[in-house]
Amino acid sequence: MRSRSSNSSSPPQPPRQSRRGSGLFWREMLDVLALGVWSAMLFRYWFGGKLLLLLHPNYAWLSNSAAIILALLALYRAWQIFRATSASRSASASADSAHVTLLPGNLSSAILLTVAIFGLIYTPRAFASQTAVQRGISETLSLTRARPQRFERAATPEERSIIDWIRLVNVYPEPDAYEGESVDVKGFVIHPDNWPDNYLMVSRFVLTCCAADAYPVGLPVKLTDAAARADYAVDSWLSVTGQMQTETLDGRRQIAIAPTAIRAVEEPRNPYEY
Amino acid sequence: MVQLNTGFTLFLSLLVEAVPFLLIGVAFSSLLLFFVDDRQLVGILPKNPLFGALVGSLIGVLFPVCECGNVPVARRLIVQGAPTAVSIGFLLAAPTINPVVFWATWVAFKGQPEIVFMRVGFTLLIATTIGWVFSHQADIGPFLQESVERSRFRGRGGETSAASPAETDTPALLQGGTFLAGELGGSFQLDTPVAQRLVANPVIEQSVASKFELALENMVRELRELGAVLVFGSAIAATVQVAIPRETILSLGQGVVSSIVAMMVLAAVVSICSTVDSFFALSFAATFTSGSLVAFLIFGPMIDLKNIGLLLTVFKGRAVFYLFGLAALMSFALSLFVNLYIG
Repeated sequence: MRSRSSNSSSPPQPPRQSRRGSGLFWREMLDVLALGVWSAMLFRYWFGGKLLLLLHPNYAWLSNSAAIILALLALYRAWQIFRATSASRSASASADSAHVTLLPGNLSSAILLTVAIFGLIYTPRAFASQTAVQRGISETLSLTRARPQRFERAATPEERSIIDWIRLVNVYPEPDAYEGESVDVKGFVIHPDNWPDNYLMVSRFVLTCCAADAYPVGLPVKLTDAAARADYAVDSWLSVTGQMQTETLDGRRQIAIAPTAIRAVEEPRNPYEY
Repeated sequence: MVQLNTGFTLFLSLLVEAVPFLLIGVAFSSLLLFFVDDRQLVGILPKNPLFGALVGSLIGVLFPVCECGNVPVARRLIVQGAPTAVSIGFLLAAPTINPVVFWATWVAFKGQPEIVFMRVGFTLLIATTIGWVFSHQADIGPFLQESVERSRFRGRGGETSAASPAETDTPALLQGGTFLAGELGGSFQLDTPVAQRLVANPVIEQSVASKFELALENMVRELRELGAVLVFGSAIAATVQVAIPRETILSLGQGVVSSIVAMMVLAAVVSICSTVDSFFALSFAATFTSGSLVAFLIFGPMIDLKNIGLLLTVFKGRAVFYLFGLAALMSFALSLFVNLYIG
């Protein structure tokens, strides 16, 4: 509002009011900054491609639209301040003294600005094995959480991703049914504590909405003869090809990959599955 | 270090997912504030207590405001003489039963749609019941703060336009932000020019351009305040996830009763806006019982720390206590039912 901002430099004001007006000016600038930096942060995730680490791609457009709207709001506020300043309006510095809030307005703006600056500097990372363990990777083969929203049996077994396999096994749990099917999956390495040394797990996080609900899924890989899992560092990304077979792990019969080839790969641009 | 990274990523993810919904929420509430004439609404409200409470609970569909915006609107309804059942129903249900919140909850809980429907259904049930209970008090007057009570009678007599001490709190009715109790006196008087501009019926006396300007300004202000609360909420959610050992969370979150109590306390303390609280709840979805998530989602929008301050600007302490008690007990009972028989 025009009337809310007053000019700090207009000469004929009593000192008290002038000080107040100047405080108001900076406060409004803080608003503009907070809005602008928030927008910049969202733009950065949008064009830097890191948005996929935070959100399900279906909702990227929401964040992208927010980036645009926040930018427009910031511009609008800046224009208002500019207009008020150049018009030398000394109208009531009432501001929103009528508006008593839980947090003082300045503090709110400052918090928002700080968080946005942090978001602008900090590069989000994909979740890794430690989080997977924290979130209960060991339970994923008897998955309770991932009810398939759609269920289609991939035409060929080697096209299935880790989550496709898990969903399949949840629907039809008999491991022998998959004996000998080809597997070709990518994921990061976890060394579950209670597994013998010749097993590792390739896993992925699955999102339904955003990183907050990411849950880990994984498939056991039975390493052949001499190779030990220590050869494959935790959190490194592997592409594993081989055949499915039935093994007994954790006292339970379950599918495991008998690999024919294990290659180290780069972390994919989009590390999650959906 | 890994924990820290996970925490930051979670924190940002919650914020980035929630901010668009927060924007939609404040945009709606700001536009409605200045473009909808709720006095016309009051004229057609049903007088039957039960039906009135139900209708009141559903008005939120027309006023998509979260719990910070709905107290001022409810207050406006009371002042303009809306039946008690309608006002109370609206007060409790509007933050949940509205399109923006429904959409946000749907986005968050697409994998468990029953949570979305339980949220809406239970809120409707609780709000209607409490509205109905309150309507047995023939005159709501004794429950109201004196300033509201005074302006209520004035409101019946005619339009509020003269600047008198009793009216200095009226702008609160028209602003969708947050207010604290005990601030009705001096601080508003500093602001009488703005107050009068707003008290004069905003729908009739403002040009579209200036209404739009007011709405935008209101939007920025709400965004600032609710955004700061959202930042706190996200920080708490992220911290709980990475800092507290999984065993502790599981033992708390898998308990049929303990999970509900924990989530209700969290809902009351965190005070996160109802347009974005589903994302907060989502981060607990893997470890907490469905009933406790439902408890969080129905109880939080009705009563929380931030909101109690707001409620006290309208109601006396005793009435707020009844509202709080009834809402808490019913939320708890329904969530327990979910945990025992559905979840």
